[in-house]
Amino acid sequence: MSALLEVSGVSKTFDGFKAINNLSFSVNEPELRAIIGPNGAGKTTFMDLVTGKTRPDSGEIRYGELSRDLTKLSEARIAQAGIGRKFQKPTVFEDQTVSENLTMALKATRNPVTVLTKRPDESDRVADLAARVGLSDTLEQRAGILSHGQKQWLEIGMLLAQEPRLLLVDEPAAGMTSAERERTTAMLVEAAKTRAVVVIEHDMEFVRRLNCRVTVLHEGSVLAEGSLDHVCADPRVIDVYLGRPEEAADA
Amino acid sequence: MLIRKPSVLVFLASLALITIVATVLAQAGLVSTSFVKLLGKTLCLCIAALAMDLVWGYTGILSLGHFAFFGMGGYAIGMWLMWDRTETIVTGTLAQSPLPPTPLEIEEAIGTQIFGVVGSSDVPWLWAFAGSLPLQLAFAVLVPGLIALVFGWLAFRSRVTGVYLSILTQAGTLALSLWLFQNDSGLRGNNGLSGLQNIPGLESVSQAVLSLWFLWASAAALAGAYLLAQWTVSGRFGSVLRGIRDDEARVRFLGYEVEHYKLAVFTVTAMLCGLAGALYYPQAGIVNPAEIAPIASIYLAVWVAIGGRGRLYGAVIGAAVVSLASSWFTGGGAPDINLGFYVIKWTDWWLVLLGLSFVLVTLYAPKGLGGLVDLWTGRRSRNVGPMGPDVGALRSKEEQA
Repeated sequence: MSALLEVSGVSKTFDGFKAINNLSFSVNEPELRAIIGPNGAGKTTFMDLVTGKTRPDSGEIRYGELSRDLTKLSEARIAQAGIGRKFQKPTVFEDQTVSENLTMALKATRNPVTVLTKRPDESDRVADLAARVGLSDTLEQRAGILSHGQKQWLEIGMLLAQEPRLLLVDEPAAGMTSAERERTTAMLVEAAKTRAVVVIEHDMEFVRRLNCRVTVLHEGSVLAEGSLDHVCADPRVIDVYLGRPEEAADA
Repeated sequence: MLIRKPSVLVFLASLALITIVATVLAQAGLVSTSFVKLLGKTLCLCIAALAMDLVWGYTGILSLGHFAFFGMGGYAIGMWLMWDRTETIVTGTLAQSPLPPTPLEIEEAIGTQIFGVVGSSDVPWLWAFAGSLPLQLAFAVLVPGLIALVFGWLAFRSRVTGVYLSILTQAGTLALSLWLFQNDSGLRGNNGLSGLQNIPGLESVSQAVLSLWFLWASAAALAGAYLLAQWTVSGRFGSVLRGIRDDEARVRFLGYEVEHYKLAVFTVTAMLCGLAGALYYPQAGIVNPAEIAPIASIYLAVWVAIGGRGRLYGAVIGAAVVSLASSWFTGGGAPDINLGFYVIKWTDWWLVLLGLSFVLVTLYAPKGLGGLVDLWTGRRSRNVGPMGPDVGALRSKEEQA
């Protein structure tokens, strides 16, 4: 086990609002980690910072053996370096078929000239991925006509296709039926055996099922870290998060 | 593999058929030379529309400057056509003088001939290679490519997208046409380049025959451009382009450098437009700054929208139908409509009709004329346009039921 992602002293301010305030923590490889916290704690901003969507005002985010500073890389380069991201609401290319969506995500060169001229037959890899996420029957269907749950699975399939070393998952259980949640839990636990998986989640029941180390964010920095039972017993955590049942029920 | 696609086959066959029928009718004297030229020009416009569809319909970059690249191709080839023809005339005249003319004298005489109209006799630096056909042909493609590369690099790198990019391209186009309108631009101001239908070295060939040659060349170029475009939009590259159009940020998170893809498409389509322009203007006979004005690029977008963007044959159909209709209506082909109290003259009302059809197509038939093909083939699974995902899911369930 070694630190794959090391966030140190990162801050980000939006129009005077401190979304991330001197945040420091690290994720190992392999590891399954859950990040919880009330609304506005900076969970999604943290993901935006790691994937290059937003740049921090200060601090650095080191990744991999070479300790590359992700704050200097473009989104595309970060993704190429092996960081995959699943968005809160399913974002697949609705105008394209399931197979086209998966093909685009497959780990392969991203160079435009090579993509245009070299066209290897990837149908086996695509069929294999589709089978893993239960979309074998819909390969030639447009992604736009899939159900919400199927789109979630397609996006997960696209993430698997990228073969990332670090997987960032934003609220995977949102809008899923309980059967789908169970499958998602199993998939995430399985994926975390060989790579680092960071899950942002509101749903405490879901986090409990993941049975992993939990980081609690509050006002843009780490409030507590440890097993779920450990952080739940922390009086500060109870104060800001768990102590307000009406909010927990909302989420 | 490309050839096996039904739409490609049908397209190439139709193009061949039209060309052959036009040739036979022209040989039999049933259609005029000017009609053959109109047809050849239309095919060149179709190439520009294909380029526009690639850049807008597939990649989502609404460029309002691609017709400027078309015009640049025309200017590049026009420079050679004018220069070479003038050189022949001038050397013929000077040969009658007692002393053989020096190269400098010849150049001065050519300068006076070409630029006398803008009150100058100096040969501008732009014309340094005007005597060389291979170089000017290369410029017809490379100059638009280079300008698109530099412009695109600056714009895409700064992540200028959507309507802001459209405005930038339009501003660039306007600046270019205003510069060309000036007499000291070195390209004969608003006179433009003329007499381009006379091809040096082919003086003995009649325009009737020349027009057929250009028709064939235009058809071949359109066929090649279609295959190139089809190849580009198929496979993973095409998926990435459509992905950029629909959700640019998502494509970035998949690891694709969106800017590189946009730049490649922007540049290659500009070069394609340059090539089309180089074929068009010898058939048109004249190129002037008005051709490059922003309105021309807007027409290009209108053609693609009416034809159906996001499908290649749609763009071709749109360009052909609208530009031919435009020639018919504005050329006095369409009979006036007498309403008793008012006579509708199509030369005045054509633009209103075009605008109205653009609005109607945008509102009621977002798939354009190309969408009619779907009714025919019963294709409805793809490109369903703005229909929401949930509605789509519902419909597909209904279909199954």
